[in-house]
Amino acid sequence: MSTEPRPRVLVVDDEQQILRALRVILRDAGFEALPASTAEEALDIAATRRPDAAIVDLVLPDFDGVELSRRLREWSDMPLIVLSAVGEEDAKVRALAAGADDYVTKPFGPRELVARLQANLRRIAPEPEEAAIRVEGLEVDLARRTVRVDGQEVHLTPTEFDLLRLLIRNRGRLMTHRDLLLSVWGPGYGEDTQVLRAHIANLRRKIEPAGGRRYIRTDPGVGYRFAL
Amino acid sequence: MRASRPSFLVGIAVSAVLVAAATAAIYPLKSLAPVVSLSVVYLPAVLLVSAYWGVVLGLATSLLSAAAFNFFHLPPVGRFTISDSRNWVALAAFTMVALAVSTIAELARSRALEANRRRVEADLAAAVARDLLGGSETESALAAAARRVAEALGIGPVSIELGAVEADRRRRALELSAADGAQVATLLVPRRLPADTEQRLLAHVVPALGALVAIALRRDALQAEAVETAALRRSDDVKTALLRAVSHDLRTPVTAIVAAGHALGSDSLTAGERAELSTAVVEEGEQLAALVDKLLDLSRLQAGRAEPRRDWVSLEDVVHAARDGLSESGSGVRLTIEPDVPPVRADAAHLERAFANLLENAVRYSGGRPVSVQVRRSGSRVVVRVVDQGPGIGVAERDRIFEPFYRGRATGPETGTGSGLGLAIAKGFVEANGGTISVESLPGQGSSFVVSLPIELPVEQQAEAEPALPT
Repeated sequence: MSTEPRPRVLVVDDEQQILRALRVILRDAGFEALPASTAEEALDIAATRRPDAAIVDLVLPDFDGVELSRRLREWSDMPLIVLSAVGEEDAKVRALAAGADDYVTKPFGPRELVARLQANLRRIAPEPEEAAIRVEGLEVDLARRTVRVDGQEVHLTPTEFDLLRLLIRNRGRLMTHRDLLLSVWGPGYGEDTQVLRAHIANLRRKIEPAGGRRYIRTDPGVGYRFAL
Repeated sequence: MRASRPSFLVGIAVSAVLVAAATAAIYPLKSLAPVVSLSVVYLPAVLLVSAYWGVVLGLATSLLSAAAFNFFHLPPVGRFTISDSRNWVALAAFTMVALAVSTIAELARSRALEANRRRVEADLAAAVARDLLGGSETESALAAAARRVAEALGIGPVSIELGAVEADRRRRALELSAADGAQVATLLVPRRLPADTEQRLLAHVVPALGALVAIALRRDALQAEAVETAALRRSDDVKTALLRAVSHDLRTPVTAIVAAGHALGSDSLTAGERAELSTAVVEEGEQLAALVDKLLDLSRLQAGRAEPRRDWVSLEDVVHAARDGLSESGSGVRLTIEPDVPPVRADAAHLERAFANLLENAVRYSGGRPVSVQVRRSGSRVVVRVVDQGPGIGVAERDRIFEPFYRGRATGPETGTGSGLGLAIAKGFVEANGGTISVESLPGQGSSFVVSLPIELPVEQQAEAEPALPT
């Protein structure tokens, strides 16, 4: 029996039915849900009960999810996932810019939500460095800096390898263009999306068999994600 | 036709010549008739000169004729005195007749002139009426009408402008008004006009033009109203179709969800039943969500509020994302993307929804057979073909399938279970992003939906490409 307390997830949505459903979903996935129906309530709970992550709906009665993300980000590093609707790309992008880490589109499937939550929690969980990562047919040896696709070794340039490493270590999580550019290229390169796009295209050509499975998913206008 | 007289000097010369000729002609006639009756020989000359040179020269000719007759023919010949007092009467009578003749001739001449002018004005009015009311919009016909006026009146450049326009240095502004006096347009004419032309202009041409322009403008307004009414009627039709479709397609899943919800509250559920019911709630709910998204897309497109947020988009990404969005049915979709396809400038989310709708349509109608998607570059465009092996689309339906809520009359077991919105949405998003969409299909041979998007070269490449652009 594990004595570890369940990770607490702040869930903010003004629709009671959704909160109720999320409580069950999160409980089944090993989390404890801390529900809030308004942004103010959410800020209170965040300050007093110190959740490990937050799931925030973008539409709230007092002030919107974007503003809430910004305020939470002021003092907390916790993973923030926003619930966005199809056609509200604008709000989603603003939330990500304000400090949210990832998003899930409504209506969401519980598996997708939980997977994104876990992927984003790995970011801050102190984890032993993995020496090698294997995902389906792709093997990445981080120590030796080699990559194999279906057993065949593939040669990547240093930049391509760094890019792949960053994506695969954060697999399941959204990596914004900025995140990728600043990490792989450095400060000052945050706006060079064309360069990023070109390298992603080259990387894909090398590791993704033509017409077959895709490891790297594009989130249009926002960033990339290594698919689980 | 210029209504001007031949030169005055020529008139004087002709008058002199004719009087001389008449005088000479009388000599041989003196043996046939008493001399006093021969004064009539001068009358044709007077008539001719009056008819062509007007009353002034006509009168002058009359007096010249009387003097010549007196001098050359009335005794005593060679002197202006008259011996016989009866001849005074004859001379006076002749002079009065000559004066009357010249006046009458002048009157006839000016009446003929006036009649001709009236005819010209009537022709002008008819021609201008044809121009203005002939069918094209009033504003574009004004130039032609102005030219006619200038030609008919024989004056310099004329223009007609709608509304009230100020005169300028070179031109006068004359008001053209409707029957109720409201100014509808302005006639701009050269400042220097012959007095009689100006008078005709103001008395006849300006009122006629004013009336015609007013009628033409009213005709334009009525036409615009008719077009708007037709559009409103069409929009009403769409709204009616929307209401009909919405009520059925929304109520069905809602009913299923509510029913399942009630059933889930039962005490007697087996685990299997519970699983089925909860699955039903999820699936019907997802269908409902998909329909709502489509309705929102469509209403945004129709209201013109789907502004694309343009960025560089890789069609490979978009097509893959669209296929991924199809869940399990996506496995029947084969993608062939040529390597030289450049990115396009468009809204990625729009294109993804457009292709998702096209793929959903293709999969639905392909009856289990694979759907293929081909992406290639063709000149300055990127062309995406979505090919299904369904029943195909007849010629009559090919235009209608892109209408909202139109569900095709499918000719096989693959009946239209969709909302009829997918193709309308795909077309809306593709066109909002500068592309075109069309379908190639024959009944029994499947369908190929073709989306063509323009390639915009990045600035640096544009500078290189321009000199080499083919015509």
